[in-house]
Amino acid sequence: MKNNLWNILKKELREMFRDKKSLSMMLVIPIFVPLIVLGMSALFDVQANKDIEEYNKIGFAYELSEEEKNIAKELDIEVIEGNTDELKNKYENDEIDLYITKEGNKYIINGNDSEVTTYAKTLMESYFNVYKEYLQSGYLQENNVNPNDVLNIITVEENITEEENMFVSYIRNYAFVFIIMAITVSATYPATDTTAGERERGTLETLLTFPIKSRDIIVGKFLAVTIASILTGIISLILAIISVAIAQNAFSIYEGLNIMFSPISIVLSVIIIIAYSFFISGLCIAIASSSKTFKEAQSALTPLTFISLFPGMIAFMIGVTGTPLLSIIPFINYTVVFTDTSAGNVDWLNIALMVVSTIIYISIVLTYIIKQYKSEKILFSKE
Amino acid sequence: MIKVENLKKKFIRYENKKIKKEFYADNGITFEANDGEIIGILGPNGAGKTTLLRMIAGILEPTEGIIKFDNLNYKNNEIEIKQNIAYLSGNTKLYDTLSAYELLKMCSDIYGVQKEEAEKRIQEITKILKMENFLYNKIGNLSTGQTQKVNIARCLVHNPKYYILDEATTGLDIISSQIILDFMKQEKAKGKTILYSTHYMEEAENICDRVIMINKGIVIKQGTPKQIKEETGTTNLRDAFFTMIGGGSDEE
Repeated sequence: MKNNLWNILKKELREMFRDKKSLSMMLVIPIFVPLIVLGMSALFDVQANKDIEEYNKIGFAYELSEEEKNIAKELDIEVIEGNTDELKNKYENDEIDLYITKEGNKYIINGNDSEVTTYAKTLMESYFNVYKEYLQSGYLQENNVNPNDVLNIITVEENITEEENMFVSYIRNYAFVFIIMAITVSATYPATDTTAGERERGTLETLLTFPIKSRDIIVGKFLAVTIASILTGIISLILAIISVAIAQNAFSIYEGLNIMFSPISIVLSVIIIIAYSFFISGLCIAIASSSKTFKEAQSALTPLTFISLFPGMIAFMIGVTGTPLLSIIPFINYTVVFTDTSAGNVDWLNIALMVVSTIIYISIVLTYIIKQYKSEKILFSKE
Repeated sequence: MIKVENLKKKFIRYENKKIKKEFYADNGITFEANDGEIIGILGPNGAGKTTLLRMIAGILEPTEGIIKFDNLNYKNNEIEIKQNIAYLSGNTKLYDTLSAYELLKMCSDIYGVQKEEAEKRIQEITKILKMENFLYNKIGNLSTGQTQKVNIARCLVHNPKYYILDEATTGLDIISSQIILDFMKQEKAKGKTILYSTHYMEEAENICDRVIMINKGIVIKQGTPKQIKEETGTTNLRDAFFTMIGGGSDEE
């Protein structure tokens, strides 16, 4: 009798692990984490290492001087000469990547907005900078002025320590945000099934006739959903660590960088996964048990997937760092604490605030659900 | 002994989602059920039978009135009372993903039956109800009759003192119904108290020691089937019921 909480937990876990849908939510969703890590790394790699031959065919609608040809050669630009109409045609047929026209001293870079054009435009900007400097030097020399005195009248040196490579930060934080989303997705189905689903199947009435306190029933269900969520979170984290290790060796953008999760960020990830699993499981059960039907519960829980993803994602994209206030705002706090830790800034106050606020939220949510389970509305809401 | 005194249950219904309407599903029901008795709760659909039994089983909270099981009440002794009750309704559903054995094991754990004792009891019940062939099959794969046997086994596993059976034979074929009726007779013989609601008057006449007739949430007659027939000058409970409500069917 004293172990009825354990009996309910055992029953819920047994049902959950035998239900194909719950099981697939738990185990299949984490597979998206390595797909995202490896997919994004491949995308970054392609963007960072675009072969110059893919965007260096430039049309010139005027005759180039020897010096211009030399600069083009130095910058690996393949020169295609012709009149404007010919070049326009070639551009439209994808034979060249851009074309340049000239009106007196004005040079016009022509093309449409596309990825290749953007790369080609950047290349031509470098070309014109070099050519402009060549012309300025010639003019200054003709007027007996040392070009160096004018062109290098000041010098600028960069002394910026890059805290973390942008790609490294993106890949780790995206992986973590998707772990959070995987936990949310994996919590919604069992939470719906164990509350609205149990009511719809008619087994809740049977359960309520047992000599079990409603508190034990709901806490048992809550713990079962939490365990499923933690399991998803841990599997996702393991897959994220493995895929990051694979990405480290497979993509040249990470050469010379360490993209691996540090031991402290792994430990804190586990703490955040546990805290978030408790939080989201309670929230899902509260929402699902208030719904009249399984379908209504599913519809009510769908927005949670987006709510769990976007605030955290936006926070790290705009570079928000942890503050005590942000550490108690649900959803954002988990990502911000992880982002800070991942960047090497472990703030124990923010971590403690995240944990304490989560405990408070869970207590509020559980009190609400226990009250609901004492009410007959939970059983007879359809009648 | 079960003692029910002036039991009332008020529900709120919204008409056209706006107009709030209060109504009493049960309105002042009083009766007693002694040990070793089968009490029939009779009445048409909507009479208040299910609400009454749900209150007695502790699933619904009464708006007013007293329910006592050997001087224990739900307010102070909910767990002790529920430990001695078995509730079975025509709508009672079981967990499809569990096997019959797992369900019985889970129930004995919940009711605090000792491990060895539980194992012994499960084997006994399995023999009595002839469940050997499907004891380890998933409930979701069982036939209606087999599922009903598992349901009865679930009620027996903790050896309860009181049975609350709400239209437990409704929708069942003749063989499955007989399983339940036989089960009631056997438990009565052991001195157990059984509250049995049904709208099959003939069935109640044959099996119940006393019957309580309910219509629109109030008791319109109670006594032994013989007494009721004599007092209404009829030959069966069906006619007696119609005599009391003054003519044809009065279902809500």
